[in-house]
Amino acid sequence: MLILISCSLLFITTLALMVLQVTQPNARYAWLVAVGGSLLALISVFMWLAQAPFDMTLPAWQPQTVFINPIQFRADKLSWPFALSITALTLTILLTAITRSAITNSFTWAGTLALGGIGLLAVTANNPLTLLLVWGALDITELMTQLRAVDGPANNEKVVISFSTRALGIGLLLWANIVSIAQGNTFDFQSIAPASGLYLVAAAGLRLGVLPLHLPYASESTMRRGIGTSLRLVSAVSSLVLLAHIPVGSLTSALTPFLLGLAIVAALYGGWMWLRAPDELTGRPYWVISLAALSVISALSGSPLGAVAWGCALILVGGALFLASVQQVWLNRALLIGVWSLSSLPFSLTASAWLGSLGFFIPFVIVAQALVMAGFVRHALRSAGRTSLESQPGWANKIYPTGIILLIVFQLLLGLTGWDGASQIGAWLQALLTSLLAFGLVWATPRFRVLNPIRAHWVSPAMSGVTTIYSSLWVIYRMLGRVSQSITVTLEGEGGIMWTLLFLVLFISLMT
Amino acid sequence: MSAPLIWILIPFVVGFSILFFLHQRFAPLIAGAVSAILALIALIFPIDTALLLGSISIKISASIQFFGRSFALNTADGPLIAIIYGLAAMWFFGTEASGTANRFVSLGLMIVALLTASIAVEPFLFAALLLDMAAMLAIPLLVPIYQKPGRGVIRFLTYQTLAMPFILFSGWMLAGVEASPGDVGSTLQAGTILGLGFAFLLGVFPLYNWIPMLMEEASPYVTGFLLWALPTFTIIFALGFLDRYTWLRTSPQISNAIQFAGVFMVASGGLFASQQKHIGRIMGYAAIVETGLLILAMGLKSTEVVNITFLLLIPRGLELAVWALALSIIKRKAYSLRFSEIQGMARSYPVAVAALILAHLSMTGFPLLAGFPSRLALWQELARQSLATSFWVFVGLLGLLIAVARTLAVFVMADEKKAWEWNESWVQTTMLGLGVIGLFILGMFPQTLQPFISKLPTLFEHLGQ
Repeated sequence: MLILISCSLLFITTLALMVLQVTQPNARYAWLVAVGGSLLALISVFMWLAQAPFDMTLPAWQPQTVFINPIQFRADKLSWPFALSITALTLTILLTAITRSAITNSFTWAGTLALGGIGLLAVTANNPLTLLLVWGALDITELMTQLRAVDGPANNEKVVISFSTRALGIGLLLWANIVSIAQGNTFDFQSIAPASGLYLVAAAGLRLGVLPLHLPYASESTMRRGIGTSLRLVSAVSSLVLLAHIPVGSLTSALTPFLLGLAIVAALYGGWMWLRAPDELTGRPYWVISLAALSVISALSGSPLGAVAWGCALILVGGALFLASVQQVWLNRALLIGVWSLSSLPFSLTASAWLGSLGFFIPFVIVAQALVMAGFVRHALRSAGRTSLESQPGWANKIYPTGIILLIVFQLLLGLTGWDGASQIGAWLQALLTSLLAFGLVWATPRFRVLNPIRAHWVSPAMSGVTTIYSSLWVIYRMLGRVSQSITVTLEGEGGIMWTLLFLVLFISLMT
Repeated sequence: MSAPLIWILIPFVVGFSILFFLHQRFAPLIAGAVSAILALIALIFPIDTALLLGSISIKISASIQFFGRSFALNTADGPLIAIIYGLAAMWFFGTEASGTANRFVSLGLMIVALLTASIAVEPFLFAALLLDMAAMLAIPLLVPIYQKPGRGVIRFLTYQTLAMPFILFSGWMLAGVEASPGDVGSTLQAGTILGLGFAFLLGVFPLYNWIPMLMEEASPYVTGFLLWALPTFTIIFALGFLDRYTWLRTSPQISNAIQFAGVFMVASGGLFASQQKHIGRIMGYAAIVETGLLILAMGLKSTEVVNITFLLLIPRGLELAVWALALSIIKRKAYSLRFSEIQGMARSYPVAVAALILAHLSMTGFPLLAGFPSRLALWQELARQSLATSFWVFVGLLGLLIAVARTLAVFVMADEKKAWEWNESWVQTTMLGLGVIGLFILGMFPQTLQPFISKLPTLFEHLGQ
């Protein structure tokens, strides 16, 4: 019931804002309505703790003999940190919106709230069927939002490709379902067949752009700071939540090291590009890809809780940075608490990240994580391109930092009490080495040209045909095209009926 | 009043009257309203059961004799008739929005009446004749007056007509097989000939090439209607065969052959769809995939055959209607429907393009849309029987997903300065909007179909036992 209350608060506020925008376009209290709704949603998520774990089951699909799994949502120690992060991010976006009033309106706030609601449903999904439906809703919403936002054939094509890759991720989750059922299991997170585990990782990895490495998102320049941040981060977390549900035992396969290797390549690439990105918004896709890759690595190494930790860091640490559009020295310094959250040092947000076994991949993971941390420091301390609060009214001077501080406080809070297994010493030696390397990179960045901001060209956003894997797929596709063209011409040509009958006789003789 | 009179004769006569006597403007409304009323009657009044309305007792009798043949519709047929006429009403109401010629509603109503007769006729083998008559009645719809029929139309008629002798001949052989079930030779012959008949009727690979050809040459709305109506009744006819003959139901060879035919249609249809550059042909291949899924459902060795088949059949009608309507609207602007002509049209026809893409996504089994629950149900049953079959179904649906991605990419490939416009009329927007809402409702709450589906297994006494 409490899940329903939290989601309803967000969805009803969305509806109210839309009605307000249509009936009273100049209403000055629209922002208050939006903030009020998201604040209540955040409070209601805190109330989950009083009853957790609890379920919300929707009326079953019928016939029930065919649809065994109901649509079910569950609030527990796994979903709560994600839910808290999403509602906190939604509130912060609205609180910081006061500095972006020139380009935002009730519709964008409504969009932010709706995304928050869908995000809540995604992270509380208690079985793959429920998650599939929420992913579907999220993908359609994102497709429509992006197609309206971008211009030009190339950008539109990127949007379609990113939608297709996420749809393929949905397909992989369905395939995991089939494999699980073929082995006699039902398909819920509690009884997934061991053979399905890797498909689940691949599904999440594909949607996040990690497996295989690609940028699933279109150019960032057209997406605004507020709703753009919500879209990117909530969408990513809705995929990451799957990793947290995969049983450790189902990931022991000969393919696991291979997938781990691919995820590390993605983490290194994402970290490197993030470090060298000219600004935080340009680097946002690389932030998502690098943290998602670290999350996949955690899951593959046998630490699903690590996936939760990285997911929360993705939203809370990233959200604080991407929404900080105003230059305030003390606030920029406060943002650096995010470095602590990313460090995996004892009692930090990501302290439980590396409880699994990484084997000989440890050095690569250290480098990837250090790149992310160094990039974060560089972007947090960068003042260029940020506005000032001086032109804003007095109350805005207080509201705006409150939003950013909220996300920072939650980073510390979740690190200590977020879930069973939080508040860990963790792999402290690895974390220490990572932190030292990160500080070394921060020191080196202004001193070495290779670390200076530059755009990379070796993986372009959501493009195929560059890497070998994409080229091979393209070759197969074109080959199939030629075969299908030949068959079509033969069967639809003048002698088509004769060919058809010949094929038919052939099939019958083969089958009998 | 007897049920065959209400659901066969009346729509046939109304269709005939519309063709010759009624003004074009009112034709879709009248045909749609008649179909909707017939659907409601089927839903409210049980057949062959006395119903007391105050002091008046109403009873719709089940059967009627006609030239020595019996036409019977029983209580169990009620939900089926409601589904059929409900979906037909949707097609007829959409006629004006699609801009299709007037005779579509009249001939369409007559086709639906003939097809309904095919499920009512006894001996049931005569259904093959009625199905062929319906196919012949479709020819004037597909070929404009004074025009030479295209190759697709000729093949459509050829294959549908070839099906009839095969089915009638197999009926004669089946009587012998029933008398001596141990005779493997005659069983094999009867099964093969029956299979051939249905292969022609349903357009099993490689007999389906008329479908994309027809989508290219004829009106997409009319072709879409035929792609909904003919396979729907053929599947019901085929289920009747399976229900009636025990050896057909229990033979593993027959079951394997059905599954093989189905999976071949799904995989080949999906792969062909992924390679097309004509959005009409893509719809044709998607319909082929859908028919393949229906055949796969029929071949399931499960007690859920009827449930899953009808879970597939009902959303299929809605998906094809929305898709065909959107195509018709787009075709008015881009006559050939080739990729080169539809490029960037999402900005000038956003509602039609969105509806087309959603209908297409629904057919790929995208979550939240009407096609998803049925595909999920089918996949779960298939997975228990064969992972390989499930894999090829996955490949087929992946082909459809590639097709939808390519279509969408072409639709949105507009110049940077191209502004968003709204060129659909209010009627078109409303019809497409209602269709899309229906797709979402069926996708999120498939239990809304339960009142119709729950009684359908009683139509087939032995299937699913």
